[in-house]
Amino acid sequence: MTHRLSVPIVLLLLLLAACAPSPSSSTAAPPSSQPSSVAAAFPLTLTDDVGREVTLEAEPQRIVSLAPSNTEIVCAIDACDRLVGVTDFDDYPADVVEVDKVVTMAQVDVEAVVATEPDLVLAAGNELTPTAVIEQLADLGVPVMVLYPQSLDDVSASIELVGMAVGRHGEAAALVGEMATRVGAVEEAVADLERPRTFYEVSVFEGTIYTAGERSFLASLIETAGGEPVTGDALSTSIELEELVAADPELILLGDATYDPTITPETVAQRQGWETMTAVDDGRVVVVSEDVVITRPGPRIVDGLEALARAIHPDAFAAAP
Amino acid sequence: MSPVVEIRGLEVSYTDARARRVVLRGLHLVVTQGEFLALVGPNGSGKTTLLRAIAGTLPLDGGRVALFGTELDRWSRVALARRVAVLPQSLALPDGFRVAEIVEMGRAPHATRWFGSSGEDATAVERALADADALDLAERQADELSGGERQRVLVAMALAQEPELLLLDEPTLHLDIAHQAALLATVARLRARRGLTVIAVLHDLNLVAAHAPRVAVLGSGRVVSDGRPASVLRPDLVREIFGVVVDEAHTADGRRFLVPHISAVERIEPSLHPHSINR
Amino acid sequence: MRAGVAPRPIVRGPALTRAALVLGGGGAMLFVALIAGIGLGSVAIAPDDVLRVLGHRLLGIGATAGVGDSIETIVLDLRLPRVLGAMLVGAGLACAGTVFQAVLRNPLADPYIIGTAAGASLGATIGIVLPLLLPGLAIGAGSAWLGLGIVQGLAFVGGVGAVLLVLTIARSGGRLPSVTLLLTGYAVSSLLAAGVALLMVASGRALAAIFSWLMGSLAAVGWVDLVIAAPVVFGVFFLLLARWRTLNLLLLGDGPAAHLGLDVGREKLGLTLLATLVTSAAVAISGTIGFVGLVVPHLVRLAVGPDHRLLLPASAVFGASLLVTADLGARLAGGIPVGVVTAFVGAPFFLWLLRRSRRVSESLS
Repeated sequence: MTHRLSVPIVLLLLLLAACAPSPSSSTAAPPSSQPSSVAAAFPLTLTDDVGREVTLEAEPQRIVSLAPSNTEIVCAIDACDRLVGVTDFDDYPADVVEVDKVVTMAQVDVEAVVATEPDLVLAAGNELTPTAVIEQLADLGVPVMVLYPQSLDDVSASIELVGMAVGRHGEAAALVGEMATRVGAVEEAVADLERPRTFYEVSVFEGTIYTAGERSFLASLIETAGGEPVTGDALSTSIELEELVAADPELILLGDATYDPTITPETVAQRQGWETMTAVDDGRVVVVSEDVVITRPGPRIVDGLEALARAIHPDAFAAAP
Repeated sequence: MSPVVEIRGLEVSYTDARARRVVLRGLHLVVTQGEFLALVGPNGSGKTTLLRAIAGTLPLDGGRVALFGTELDRWSRVALARRVAVLPQSLALPDGFRVAEIVEMGRAPHATRWFGSSGEDATAVERALADADALDLAERQADELSGGERQRVLVAMALAQEPELLLLDEPTLHLDIAHQAALLATVARLRARRGLTVIAVLHDLNLVAAHAPRVAVLGSGRVVSDGRPASVLRPDLVREIFGVVVDEAHTADGRRFLVPHISAVERIEPSLHPHSINR
Repeated sequence: MRAGVAPRPIVRGPALTRAALVLGGGGAMLFVALIAGIGLGSVAIAPDDVLRVLGHRLLGIGATAGVGDSIETIVLDLRLPRVLGAMLVGAGLACAGTVFQAVLRNPLADPYIIGTAAGASLGATIGIVLPLLLPGLAIGAGSAWLGLGIVQGLAFVGGVGAVLLVLTIARSGGRLPSVTLLLTGYAVSSLLAAGVALLMVASGRALAAIFSWLMGSLAAVGWVDLVIAAPVVFGVFFLLLARWRTLNLLLLGDGPAAHLGLDVGREKLGLTLLATLVTSAAVAISGTIGFVGLVVPHLVRLAVGPDHRLLLPASAVFGASLLVTADLGARLAGGIPVGVVTAFVGAPFFLWLLRRSRRVSESLS
């Protein structure tokens, strides 16, 4: 990969977005008040995840997505062929790499966005799409919807919102229902199980340890998957080694092993100061290779949940097919 | 006609981090039109301070200074600059300017045009260059000049102000003997040609003795002796003020000069001077 | 002693032909940069489409049938304000740099040297972080006032405020000695920069936004920004140009300037405030773009000399050209912050300048 060093840094920024809690209220703004089973007529005014009102004159046919999770949502509700602009980090489904790139290295090229003549732009919240860019596009008269899910319920709400926006409400409702079933299955399976203190390693960079922030999406995922998350600072998502040792995790999940093959249970056990942790002592340090879906708040988040559940309670779940 | 400079009871002090140092105390001085007054005194006696006080760029703690009959605090800076010019000690000139452009800056107090210079300015600059013997330097770049040449340029710049009073702050400090002589000759010429009044701080007593019609000696913050060099610069006074033993000598045509004793053993504490000087 | 008048008048001001050449050449360069900046970008647009759109909207000639809406939007609402913004910011920073180099008599002075950058950075960082801490200020909920974002407003206030603080501390008895000003500026800047660093640590996900602002970028410049910044830049420029004599005199030193009738303390204060105003306005709309204010006055001085009658306007024109070109380069290189481009170009030049001045001073000693 040509941008080897920059990948972890940019991913770090993406992960910070996923792991840090929002300062706004913990419940997402409610989507349009119309029930999802009723066909919506255009023109349509919707409220996005950060409370902005967006008016769509007609059903959008040219959609630009400014985050990989948004792209996945659009494709999951069968509107993939309407995508005219994506980011260079989009990789699922495989076809989207053919679409024109309007975001390179997390920099949004507003000119390129305008050039695709979009009638709907799906931006990401939490400064992943800079506020300045959102305002600039809005000023130019481009309909911009900001998606900012911070929990499993929020992801479903975002999917329904996009479904309303692009006239695929039926597909959205079906997808959401399927996701809910799978989540329910996980919750049931772990309901009576003991919850190990679980530390999810997002990355260790220059001596700073990044993990799930307090009250963050990732923390709630770990809880749903049957673990008790060891969390870091809400804003910076970092945790001091001292604090980590004091928290004494019983299970360590190596999310960064997805990207760096040198991170293994053996190398972790050799880290200075880590040897006293119960997890290291008991040898419960597990490589996680599904970090992408664990941290991408899109339709595959349930895959991530299931991966977490398997890692935390291997006996309760059969291995993934 | 009122004197050019009239000073009564002048008091000037400096305040630094620790204390207030009084430099001039109860100083009286009168200078009339056309005079050439040399100011001498040991290091730290306040010569430069006095000059700056006369130029109006130092706040006064007490006493009165009147220039051309008007109190100093009633003068606007620009009006003062039209009649009083100061030749600074430093020979530094900014890079990149032609000599003529530097001299033209001396016209600032008289400037009437917004963007350019008037005919009057051009005439004044040419005349100033000529009087300062610097006409041949006009097209040269200021940063390429030697020390003596810079001195001439600075004199020209001062003359471009068309002053009536010229204040010189140790003008011979960086000059070799030839240039020192040339400068004093220039001063004499200017006095004659333009009717200038000149006050010059000089450190070389022999130069003063040879060229200055009047000399004022500073000590303990005031003028301790004022008059013709022959009567003022006597060995006993020099010994008192400067703490140096000097002998008088005479040239063949009768001019007087002072030769200091240099002795490793003898040290005299000057009686009037607050600082001691090692010789 | 030579009498008589030289064939060429000795007192003649900057040569008219030279002035015309420099300003004319600079103007031509600016024009070319403008055209290139509007015509080129990450999206390829045919040159005659560009001309048609411009001609139609600005001069009312021709028609834009056949030119897509998106192309019109890109040219008129994205590129045009951005390029004009680059002109304003480049000109403003170059003028401010020229003035500070004269007032402080220091060739290493740039527009930010007495605290503007640090103050504006702190203001902007607070503006970026505040909405994340107080949800009531988030987008769509009143974060803009009169079309200006909090970030721009706080950046401007921060820049001017920091300098006022420095001036208050450094001023003693009506005098403003250059060295004191420089050192006080350095101390206050360090303090404010520490504040910025602290906020950066606590900012979490806003870090990228803060960093991008610090590097400087013209991406978000809109028509509202231009309408507010343009009068400041033009106004300050003409006020500074009117004081060309003062600026020249200050080069002689504080003492000689005072003896020539200048109220040195008051003039330095006034010039500093003017330069700070224009710098803060520039920084408010573009972040802290480095090197333009330092490098352009030196380059221009090499070409036209130190007389501010010509130096100021020439610096403004060349500063504008430089930044328009640098911004074009930044856009074509994939949207990197323009401050990165100016640093790449400016830093080697800065080193060359240092070597040159060292050699000159060594040859004099």
